[in-house]
Amino acid sequence: MTERVLLEAKGLEIRFGGVVAAQDINIQIHEGHNLAIIGPNGAGKTTFLNICTGYLKPHKGKVFFDGKDVTRLQPRHLVRRGVARAFQIPQLFTEHSVLENLLIAGAAQSRRWSPFRPLHQIPERKAMLHLLDMVKCSHIADRPVSELPEGQRKLVDIAIALALKPKLLFMDEPTSGVASSEKFEVLDIIAEALTEAKVTSVFVEHDMGIVDRFADEVAVWNRGEVLFRGPPDDVLNHPDVIRDVIGEEV
Amino acid sequence: MNPQLFALAIFDGIAYAALVFLVAVGLTLIFGVLRVLNVAHGSFYAMGAYATASVGAAIFAAGYSPWLAFPLMLVAAVLVGVIVGGPIEKLLLSRIYEMEEVLQILVTFAVFMILEDVQRLIWGAQPFFEASALMALGNVEVFGITYTAYQLILLPAVAVSVLIGLRLFLRRTLSGKLILAVTEDREAATSIGINAERVYLVTFIVGASLAAFGGALASATTSVQPGMGADMIVLSFAVVATAGLGQIEGAALAALLIGLGRSFAIYLWPELEVLIPYLIMLLVLLIRPEGLFGKSRTRKI
Repeated sequence: MTERVLLEAKGLEIRFGGVVAAQDINIQIHEGHNLAIIGPNGAGKTTFLNICTGYLKPHKGKVFFDGKDVTRLQPRHLVRRGVARAFQIPQLFTEHSVLENLLIAGAAQSRRWSPFRPLHQIPERKAMLHLLDMVKCSHIADRPVSELPEGQRKLVDIAIALALKPKLLFMDEPTSGVASSEKFEVLDIIAEALTEAKVTSVFVEHDMGIVDRFADEVAVWNRGEVLFRGPPDDVLNHPDVIRDVIGEEV
Repeated sequence: MNPQLFALAIFDGIAYAALVFLVAVGLTLIFGVLRVLNVAHGSFYAMGAYATASVGAAIFAAGYSPWLAFPLMLVAAVLVGVIVGGPIEKLLLSRIYEMEEVLQILVTFAVFMILEDVQRLIWGAQPFFEASALMALGNVEVFGITYTAYQLILLPAVAVSVLIGLRLFLRRTLSGKLILAVTEDREAATSIGINAERVYLVTFIVGASLAAFGGALASATTSVQPGMGADMIVLSFAVVATAGLGQIEGAALAALLIGLGRSFAIYLWPELEVLIPYLIMLLVLLIRPEGLFGKSRTRKI
């Protein structure tokens, strides 16, 4: 059975001065998977995310989403097509409440909305509360984001990403900054919410425990190239990967 | 100072403060969201006044009801905001948001100079005076003083409505929240698909329309002539700086403070009339460099 290709990168190349951050990157991302991207610092992992989400334009190569060339699109246009992103540091509006953050995100997507409608009468409100429920945050809906601990911020950030109704979600270290005792708990909630929302995900991660638990596929980046790709067991136990990427962490 | 003069100074001050507030709140809204200090803001005020006075004079001369002056003011304000303000943001300011503040001020100053000449081209150097709206509302008597209802009731009522309306709009409505979101973090707003460019354009048009509305209302109380934009922009800078940049409620209080200060100066020390607003600003900034309500570093409108 062939799986549908959601996103495809062909021959991506980008340089910053003399540094090669992407060099002939070719990869297909299939619908329904959780792909982990691992690799040493400076391997070009975040650069790849930046290109796929429209924040960087490659010097060579193309990105196709749903079969269409999206290489030159701006981030907000990619969001509308179904490519969302959660950042390493959650991009939340700290002066607003959790629910307001979601309503803002939902409103940014909706094509028909009345500009003067009071916030609490918005029809999407119910759907947004459901999203908060999915990430186990409905009890903090009215709290200002500035008061939340890091773990909850991450969850709210994921809920916001889901409010954009994405098909594909890129996450840059979804549990960075979260206390290690809570990491798995936060991650399990995220994984469950992504499954329920039927969202394909690609995430950059340094913690191999998380990769092992969460990914069903792993791609290894090094010096702007994709070295390996395969199921977690194969990739994480490959001697070259252990030597070059995982190093002393094992 | 006898009680009647005292009351007169208060009325003058409030009426003047209402006009200054409308212009200053537009300036501070634009600064709060776009982070650009717009010197050309005074031109919107002047053009709102010119448009209202010249069109008003023509239609009243043709025998139409003086009550048409009120809808005319609104229409003139929106048209100046859209036709003059819109292209300025879209074609000029949108290219300089990432640049140094000095450059931004120079560019908007250049726009101001150009618009001053445009006004002379369209309306000439002769002053206009068109007070039909002021006459239409008649006079009221308070504390034995006869004062125009236009200045004593209408202007303050409009200013308070704008203040409350703007606050509800920003804090309670979806569009307001989108504007605040872009103000807090443009990049995050873009990452969730908000069209920040459109938010900037709409905010600029709203701010410009507020200044033009101030001018439209002022046209009934004063003669419309070259230079009025320059006077107003300097004064509203003083109000905005006194309040703290980007502070909407603060702008209302600072406008009142400066409006009253100026009107009392006219009665007590006429030679200080021009100086008083800046003395007040100087005093406030000496004690609180970030303004009465300003917060250092945080972005807020």
